[in-house]
Amino acid sequence: MTTRPEPALTARDIHKAYGRHQVLRGVDLRVDPGQLVAVVGENGSGKSTLLKAIAGTLRVDRGEVALSGTLGYCPQDPVLNANLTVDQHLRYFAAAHRLTALDRADELVRLLGYEKYRDTAAGDLSGGTRQKLNLTLALLHDPDVLLLDEPYQGFDWETYLRFWDLVDQLHERDKAVVVITHLVFEQERFDVLADLVDGRLTPRDTAVKEPSHAGA
Amino acid sequence: MPAPDTLPGTPLYGQFPTALRFSVREQSRNRLAALLLLLFVPLWYLLMTAIAGDKDVDFKLYATGEMLSVGGKHITLITAGLNALTMISGFVVFDAVRKALAFDKRLAFAGFGQSTLVGAKMLAIGIVASTIALYTALALLLYWRPGFTGWGTILAGFATMTLTYGSLGLLLGVLVKNDLEGFFLIIMGGLTDTFLQNPLGNPAANKPVLQYFPSFGPMQFSVGGSLGDTVLWRYLGFGLIWAASFAVVGLIVFHFRTRSRRPKG
Repeated sequence: MTTRPEPALTARDIHKAYGRHQVLRGVDLRVDPGQLVAVVGENGSGKSTLLKAIAGTLRVDRGEVALSGTLGYCPQDPVLNANLTVDQHLRYFAAAHRLTALDRADELVRLLGYEKYRDTAAGDLSGGTRQKLNLTLALLHDPDVLLLDEPYQGFDWETYLRFWDLVDQLHERDKAVVVITHLVFEQERFDVLADLVDGRLTPRDTAVKEPSHAGA
Repeated sequence: MPAPDTLPGTPLYGQFPTALRFSVREQSRNRLAALLLLLFVPLWYLLMTAIAGDKDVDFKLYATGEMLSVGGKHITLITAGLNALTMISGFVVFDAVRKALAFDKRLAFAGFGQSTLVGAKMLAIGIVASTIALYTALALLLYWRPGFTGWGTILAGFATMTLTYGSLGLLLGVLVKNDLEGFFLIIMGGLTDTFLQNPLGNPAANKPVLQYFPSFGPMQFSVGGSLGDTVLWRYLGFGLIWAASFAVVGLIVFHFRTRSRRPKG
């Protein structure tokens, strides 16, 4: 193994309680550029809480988060505006990121296969298409670190495979990706699997996989 | 390899115009509110004038201390208009702000300037509120022609009232957890506030305590201009202070609810 690069994301000693229910009890996580990390855990184990804490949408009781580069966060439940169309969402977020072109947005919409809904209001989209838009908004600015909270919910099989093609591309381009998952059969895709149990994250002792991989 | 397109260059879309355009759109897409405005307002005027009859009532103008003897029907039209506006503008803004709060938070996290978002939202409320006030004041002409200055002061009173309840809608939109709480507070608040100002419905309407209600200023201004031949600018100011107070508190809460919570390393 060579010298480890500067981490893209470091979370240290993250604590979070809801009332008296202690959900996170000192989570540590380090993700290097180009690393694909899965956070695995049962329902209610605090996976989404952890991602929200890292993304900064939730206040933690204790802990630190350091990022190098830009962040993209795809929340589990799509956060969209029902009154705005797909295209209007893309424009709104292009303005937020001060993008100079919408090339990446066009590419993502094409790749996830929902071009025909560009003029449809988000409130009228199916669950799967809402999720595609939710994911597109997280990827629009080509972030260096990506936090994806079960990003393929509601995807059909073909879209699911396209999603992994997209993640592979990001992986090859040295993006750091953290995905929350509870599906066993896709675990071979990841560089690191980390179990969230009793409020702590424990990396699973698995061999680092080869950079190229195919199939589900 | 695709290059990140956040490199220096002119952004494709300016933040303020984009936020303003979409904020106006989300506030004006409320079909129920549009229907209420188009149909309910004229019907409400009709119903209220039918109930009011032709009796004259006393109305106290606080600026001059004068007790005016005015047509109950005219006073009722003004309070009915104010009342309809409280509900419609409060509902429109509350609904839009509450539904978009999580989305706005996401935008702010993505790099949208919070003050830009807040400014655009407030201007959008102003635009939508003025449109609602204008329509309500125009619909009043079906039942009463108070003359140009009179109508102008009614319009200004109505606009102030929509801004006040639009701002209250904003405040409740960022504060309350569910729809019913917000709607209930807006409807009860608006009803209590406007009906207490009408001496026909409330024998205690001329009592000083009513000065502390949001509709007091717009009501005095509208009645003074349309029925008392006096334009009481200070009273319009009272209404605007209410509007500004609700807006400032609402925008502060909005700012806190959309800021980043990431613990710094």
